[in-house]
This record gives sequence, C-alpha cells and structure tokens, in this order.
Amino acid sequence: MPNSRLNQISILLKRDGDSIRQEWTTHVSSSWNRRYHGLVTDDELRLHTRRLIEELIALFDTHGHDAPPDISAESPLAELAIELSASRAKLGFRPTDTALYISALKNVLTRRLVEALKHDSDTLVVCLSAVDDVLDRLALLTFDTYVETRERIIAQQSLSLVELSSPVVRLWDQVLLLPLVGIIDTVRARQFTERLLASISKYEAQVAIIDITGVPVFDTGVAKHIMKAVDAAQLLGSRIVLTGLSPEGAQTLTKLNINFSNVINRASLRAGVAEALKLVGRRIVATGAQA
Amino acid sequence: MRIPILRIGRILLASIQVEMSDSDALRFQNDVVQKIAEIEALGIAIDITSLEVVDSYMARVINDTATMARLLGAEVVVCGIQPYVAMTLVEMGRDLIGANCVFDLEQALLRLQERIAARGDADLDKGS
Repeated sequence: MPNSRLNQISILLKRDGDSIRQEWTTHVSSSWNRRYHGLVTDDELRLHTRRLIEELIALFDTHGHDAPPDISAESPLAELAIELSASRAKLGFRPTDTALYISALKNVLTRRLVEALKHDSDTLVVCLSAVDDVLDRLALLTFDTYVETRERIIAQQSLSLVELSSPVVRLWDQVLLLPLVGIIDTVRARQFTERLLASISKYEAQVAIIDITGVPVFDTGVAKHIMKAVDAAQLLGSRIVLTGLSPEGAQTLTKLNINFSNVINRASLRAGVAEALKLVGRRIVATGAQA
Repeated sequence: MRIPILRIGRILLASIQVEMSDSDALRFQNDVVQKIAEIEALGIAIDITSLEVVDSYMARVINDTATMARLLGAEVVVCGIQPYVAMTLVEMGRDLIGANCVFDLEQALLRLQERIAARGDADLDKGS
C-alpha cells in the first residue's frame, strides 16, 4: 500500500463515510428541495453520493505522495461530477445550486478532517490542501459542464426555432404567405428568403404576402433582410404585400430613411389578403348560406 | 397645442391651422401614426392651407408623417400648399411625398376615395 499522509483522508472516509454522506445529503437535499421540489429523488442522490465517496477513497488510497493528486477530466471522479452537473443543467438548476453539491461536501469533509486530525497539525494542513485542491477542481469541472450543457440546449432550441418559424404557405393559386415570427437574424433571413424564392418559382406566384405582425423588434438589420427578400422576389416577377407593421416600426423605418417604396403596405393581414386576391383578379364574397 | 385628427369613416383628416413648435410637430406625427394603426385607416388627408411659412424641419415632419402613413397601409394626400410655401419647398430641394398634393380639401377627399376604390381591401367591411 502506498504510503502518504493523504491516506488519512481515505481512512477517515472509510470510517465515517456513512455519517459524512448523511450530513452531506441532508444539506444538499434540504436546499434543493426548497427550489426544485421533486426533481431529484433521494435514491438518486444517495446512489450518486456513495459513488463519489467511493471514488474519493480510491483516489486517496492509491495516492503515493503528499502533493495533491491531479484530476483529469477523464478520471472516474471527474466523470461523476460531470454527469451530475449535466443532468442538473438539463433540469434547469441554477449554477449556484449545481455548484452547491460539491461545495457542501467540501464543508463537511473539512470539518471532519479538522476534528480527526487536530493533534497532528502537519498532516492536517497537507490533507486540507489536498481536499481543497481536488474538490475545487471538481467544482470547476461541474461549472464548465453546466455552461456547456446549457449552451448546447440553447443551440438546439435556436435550431428548432429556425426550422419551425418560417414556413411559406400557399394561400391561393399564385398567392403565397410568409408569416414571420420572432427575431430575424442573418441565418433566418437567408433561410426564409431561399424558401420564399423556391416557393415563388414552384407555384409561379404573382403575389407574396410578408406578414410581420409577429416580429417584435423592427430595426435596420431586419428591414435590410426583408428588403433583400423583397428585391429578390420582385426579380422573379412577384409583387410583395407587406402587412402587420406596427406604428413604432413605421416610425423607426422612416427615421432610418427606409420607405419600402416598391412594396404594397397594408395595415393587417386581412387587408393584405384582400389586396393580394385583387391583384390576381379574385375576390372573397359572402355566399348567403350560413351553416 | 395639439392638432385634432378627425375621422370620417375610415379616412382621417388632419388640418394644421396654427404654427407648430418642433415638439408639437413630433406629437402630431405620433398622434397620426397611432390613430392610423388604431382604426386601420384607409387614407389620410393632411391640410396645410393655413401654413404661411414652412421651414425645413416642418417639411421633413410632414414628409415623414406621409411615409409612415403609407407604411401603415394608408393612402396619403396633402392639400392646400400655398404658393409661397411651394416655392420654399422646391428651393429646399424637398419634394413632398411624390406629388400626392392637391389644391383643396374637397379634391383631397375625392382623390383619396378614388385611390381607396382602386384598392383590394376597400369594400372589405361592406355587406359583411
């Protein structure tokens, strides 16, 4: 068995492991339950804390010198922390609540070490610094993973938003509708322009209605993107009806000197549809028969 | 002072009869835009018969108001531009809203009705 003063840590963990775990879990679950009631079961927590403590024991058992052990991201201990952090991030935990998991263990362990080694201050200092080092490293890994997981979620969401929110609808023969919803950025702008142009040539559309009721912010960027789509559509021979511009949007555009002079503007989608139908020589009439 | 904006069906009428300060002008612009959006106006006539002098700022406000109204889907006609005002405007190199100007209010309303009748959404609310 390798000889190191750090073995004291694993001896303590083996001896008092259960009570340390008890104290640790109580602390963590009491603060998690307040905010995220029912999201993490006690069984899950118990299992995970046991595995983590076993890994800590293994780490300090096999450690041969006094310098704090090095934790790489591939070690089983790090993997445990990463796994936990990722699952917390997916459940919507706040970063502080996720970090609390490791820092709570650090609190408990430090206090137990001080108690157990109060007569041997040299060993105590070495052990404390090792525990600090290892658990801080774990906490940092936890945080990294948390951020990565969240970022991945955001990327996925914006991808699905792009997919979902710019369909081109064939409203009638030769009349298309492009309802825009949400923030328009360069990626989305290119995508809806491509779709619009493809649909125009597919259906030989004479009129395309662009409805911007669902666009919350209308600034230079958005106006420029829509202008490009409009210009391209007009090159194909379609006329554009722009509907749903807000009073604030109209004021902003005018101040930016953008006047959409080659576009037919209508206040509402309803008026826009009427206009578009007129442009293709059609009209909606009441039939007089009501169901 | 506040310029009243009158409503005749879905046509708006704004008559500027006093000299406006710069902040009055902006408030007028804002009022017009809000009112158009509120009732989904089909057209607006801006009457400036009583304006003897127009400075560059005023010219721009009227011009901008007209552009905003058009962006919100309303037809715009400006009427009653005095000869002296017309000269000033030309000398300042500003053309008011692409020649949608007529002599008096009567002609303005006729012109508006004409242009609204040519639109697709003119009789949307009739008979329904």
